[in-house]
Amino acid sequence: MNTPFARTFAAIAVYLSLCLALAACSADLRSPDSNRGSGPLSFGPEQRLGANEKNPATPFLRYSPDGRLFAVWTEDHDTPWPQGSQPAMHQHGSGDRAPSPMRNALLAWSADGGKTWSSPWRVNSVVEAVQGEENGPKVAFADNKAYVVWSIPGEKGDKTRANIRFAMGDEKGHFIPARTLNEVKDAARFPIIETTPDGNLLVAWIDRRIDGPKPRQLYLMRLKNDGQALTKNYQVGEGLCECCKLGISFADSGKTVYMVDREVDGNKIRNHVLRKSTDSATSFGAPVEISDDGWQVPSCPHSGPSIGRDSRGQLHVSWFTLGRSEQEAGIYYSVSKDDGKSFAPRQLVQANTAPETLYATLAVGNDDRVYLAWSNLDSDNKAQIFMRTLAADGRTWSPLQQISRAKGNAGRPVLALMKNQLQVAWTETIGEDSRVVLRSATVDK
Amino acid sequence: MKKPISGRSSRWILATGLCSLFWCSAVLILTPAITWSQHTHGTQSSAPGVGAPAIAFDLKSVDGNSVGLASFRGKPLMMNFFASWCDPCRDEMPLINELAGKAGKGGYAVLGVAVEDTRAAIMQYAQEAKLVFPIALDLNSTVKRAYRIFGPPATFFIDGQGTIRDVVIGPITPERAREGLKKAGASL
Repeated sequence: MNTPFARTFAAIAVYLSLCLALAACSADLRSPDSNRGSGPLSFGPEQRLGANEKNPATPFLRYSPDGRLFAVWTEDHDTPWPQGSQPAMHQHGSGDRAPSPMRNALLAWSADGGKTWSSPWRVNSVVEAVQGEENGPKVAFADNKAYVVWSIPGEKGDKTRANIRFAMGDEKGHFIPARTLNEVKDAARFPIIETTPDGNLLVAWIDRRIDGPKPRQLYLMRLKNDGQALTKNYQVGEGLCECCKLGISFADSGKTVYMVDREVDGNKIRNHVLRKSTDSATSFGAPVEISDDGWQVPSCPHSGPSIGRDSRGQLHVSWFTLGRSEQEAGIYYSVSKDDGKSFAPRQLVQANTAPETLYATLAVGNDDRVYLAWSNLDSDNKAQIFMRTLAADGRTWSPLQQISRAKGNAGRPVLALMKNQLQVAWTETIGEDSRVVLRSATVDK
Repeated sequence: MKKPISGRSSRWILATGLCSLFWCSAVLILTPAITWSQHTHGTQSSAPGVGAPAIAFDLKSVDGNSVGLASFRGKPLMMNFFASWCDPCRDEMPLINELAGKAGKGGYAVLGVAVEDTRAAIMQYAQEAKLVFPIALDLNSTVKRAYRIFGPPATFFIDGQGTIRDVVIGPITPERAREGLKKAGASL
């Protein structure tokens, strides 16, 4: 073998190798799916909320101003069916009585970051079929009181023509009897409640009192912190998808309000939009499309967007879409750096591993990091909860992290963040049983 | 004066160069492939479509009895995936129920497969909507995933031999339902 040739060839080979390795690394760093960047979160053990035998489900988490972590969820009520309405069971049935459609809303708190929990308080004084899934109860706090909203089926039992219920409780867990907030009955669901920076309350929901060409409307109502109405129901938007949760965030001491929802147009394309108010949610500007995903679907995604605002005023949004083909399906993220006028091109956080509607949520830390949690199928075709973190630089993603080990399916994660404590809760189901699972992580400062 | 490189040294340099080139090329080529496979795992295989055999399953009904696809063999079947919380499912349910009421006369069968729902909610809904067809509870989403459905409603028309003859993803119209049943061999 010619020695100069060998030397030259080896030098070229080493040079090319270095170039290729560098290219591989830089390509990896540029990818939105990069596993480089901040490390995985370190989670504590799983905690369970609620009474196992009552099938707890659909948790929602929020820190109160005094630093306690609160959770609200739903559970079976002991009494099976309203008198006289129980359907007959066949002799070969799995039980001698039908399972109850009646569900309660429970509220409990933890003063040690989710390690131990108070005895739960029942929020609904009257036995009701408190709805869950995408439409579970939510809680907000002001003036040492807890305010909870949920929905119940309409008079004829129709889940899709429901009513928004509201109750207020004191520090001892005494809740006033719930009342219905929607003035037109059997037309509202998917409520959210927020304490506005002025100490009052804002409740929003999806309403169908006008069954027109744009069949769903965004309705709001303001309440004082004593629970009394500050306003009547008022409409601030239309064209909403009928069954996807709403997202909300505030700025400027509550003068600016951002809401996100899934829209549906005449061709059944369901993209997400941002609606912005600069007058404390009295009125909202024209919706701004977050991403032209082009998902044309005539049925119910039941998977709404999530929004958070960081200290720099950037708006972070995550959502699920199938896009224009199954190959596009997944959890996406985008950011607005101009106060909601426009959004950056979407980034894929994780693609679907199989045809399945996924559920995403996000939370923004004081250090401007974005925490995303969602469900997706694992290699055994079971839905699990996954997380990634986006660093404040807006480019560096943490590795994909699976945080549930459900034997059945895990879904609809929720997040709560206070200082350096991150909480994640979700529902696990297997067969007819469900449970609420919570895990905590300490977030690096 | 430089020491001349021996034939053995040059072979070593050549081998080292080739080896590093091979491994770096492999890393570069395989990295995107691995990443892609992580992101698309499972999405490449298509849903069971027209002409494909219907995927067998065995579930429990709302009253705890066994409901399997095999028990419908021999006659056309309209299999409707639905949920009690689903608006379009509720909208189309009167049609499904009406066709179920005529199933005996038409020589076909109707089966509801409840997805992402609870037995209690389905029982309540079945009572409220006066449903007259059997309902299988797909509580763990295994059948929904086998049929590769993102969400309800979806309707499959299966002939007596167990072959899928028509599929409607999303709400179904009376015309499409009758067309699907005819394709599956029902006499309407």
